[in-house]
Amino acid sequence: MLRQAWIIAAKDLRLEFRSRTAFLSSLVFTALVLAIFNFARDPTVLSGTDLAPGILWITFSFAGLLGLNRAFALERENRTLDGLLLAPVDRTALYLGKALANLVFVGTVEAVALPLFALFFNVPLLPVLAPLLAVVALATVGFVAIGTLLSAIAVNTRFAELMLPVLMLPFLVPPITGAVQLTARVFSGRPFAELSAWLKLLVGYDIVVVLAAFLVFEYTLDE
Amino acid sequence: MTPDNGSFMTAAYVVLGVLYAGYTAWVWRKGRD
Amino acid sequence: MTTVESARAAVRTSRLLLGVALLLVAALYVRALAFTPVEAMQGPAQKIFYVHVPSAWTAFVAFVVVGACSVLYLVMRDIRLDRLAAASAEVGTVFTTGVLLSGPMWGKPIWGTWWTWDARLTSTLFLWFIFFGYLVLRGAVREPGQRARFSAVLGILGALLVPFIHMSVKLFRTLHPQPVVMNPDGPTLPGSMLATLLFGVFAFTIFYAGLVWQRYAQLTLEDAHAAAAAESER
Repeated sequence: MLRQAWIIAAKDLRLEFRSRTAFLSSLVFTALVLAIFNFARDPTVLSGTDLAPGILWITFSFAGLLGLNRAFALERENRTLDGLLLAPVDRTALYLGKALANLVFVGTVEAVALPLFALFFNVPLLPVLAPLLAVVALATVGFVAIGTLLSAIAVNTRFAELMLPVLMLPFLVPPITGAVQLTARVFSGRPFAELSAWLKLLVGYDIVVVLAAFLVFEYTLDE
Repeated sequence: MTPDNGSFMTAAYVVLGVLYAGYTAWVWRKGRD
Repeated sequence: MTTVESARAAVRTSRLLLGVALLLVAALYVRALAFTPVEAMQGPAQKIFYVHVPSAWTAFVAFVVVGACSVLYLVMRDIRLDRLAAASAEVGTVFTTGVLLSGPMWGKPIWGTWWTWDARLTSTLFLWFIFFGYLVLRGAVREPGQRARFSAVLGILGALLVPFIHMSVKLFRTLHPQPVVMNPDGPTLPGSMLATLLFGVFAFTIFYAGLVWQRYAQLTLEDAHAAAAAESER
């Protein structure tokens, strides 16, 4: 099953990087959002470091939503999903493949956005890089897991681009809240004890979402 | 000294009354079609 | 009796229950406003409690019904479960709206603030968003089988989400100590007030049942009409 997932993911990613437009627009969009946030605050009243975690994660969320939408839309445009379903592909492998492709896509955008964020908001990342990357990874997994599942539903609806954010945003509250709280604590160098509760929440969320996706993904596909 | 906040009580009962009665009326009318 | 006729009969019968429910809710209004003592420390605004809590209770029941029907539908594929879920989601949205409207109107005089991000109110807010998303999704999918499947998946995911929202808020607030507030719905309610509250919960439960049954019957009738039309075309 994992092999099938890898093949599906590789196919998706190859398609993606051949066209590159979605990836580049996500990057530009992220840079724009970060830049706009600079003007969204009064620097004499609120310091950048107070808002930085929130800004980072709102930016990641927007960019992530863009990336997720294109994943199944691409599939729908090319009608390749029907071909996939006719082939003897395990449904769970299909989900895993799509989720992995999305993870790579969103992860790459985040990888470029993070240094940009450090630059724009004067946040020193290197001293806290390891814990920060761990938090980003955990939150992104949860985000992509639920997003891949919901976009499989949304792409079949009449207003797909609007439907995905409407469905997704409530589901983003636990991982994004956790991510912001953990990022803030990581930036201010808080001891691990203060992070453990939020970490447990984030990890628990990831596990529940992935398990739920494994169980219900097949129901999002036409029989 | 009991606080004088009866206006909130009235407002809440009226608002909820309108909401629930309005929805019930809509449901009722739908049943007539 | 044809399917259409039996569906019509169900619509008529459920209206009786709905009528009874309306009388019960009216009786609750009278009892709460005129025949229940005013709480000395909180004043008349405390009486919002008698419509706010039953509303929250029915929103919760509606939510559980949607979740249960979602799971059962994916297992049994009985379209009646999907109809019940749809009816319950619609009615649940209305009652959740009631909770979100009455909450701040109770909060302002009692706590001094219109809104507070406490676990219950925040969970209710997101419950509303989940119900809303569920109804929007149903509106955006045309094919009934697909609509039922998608709704069931969303129903299950929504049911899994609410505990996480609750935990997130609780965790958030333990680190931001809140001012000590009165506990208006403490366990020690004097007899008359408790009786009014319990009657309120009872009345609203019947109200929920009447509304859901009526909507369910209407949805059944719609499907029966559609099926009959398809038959006659053949």
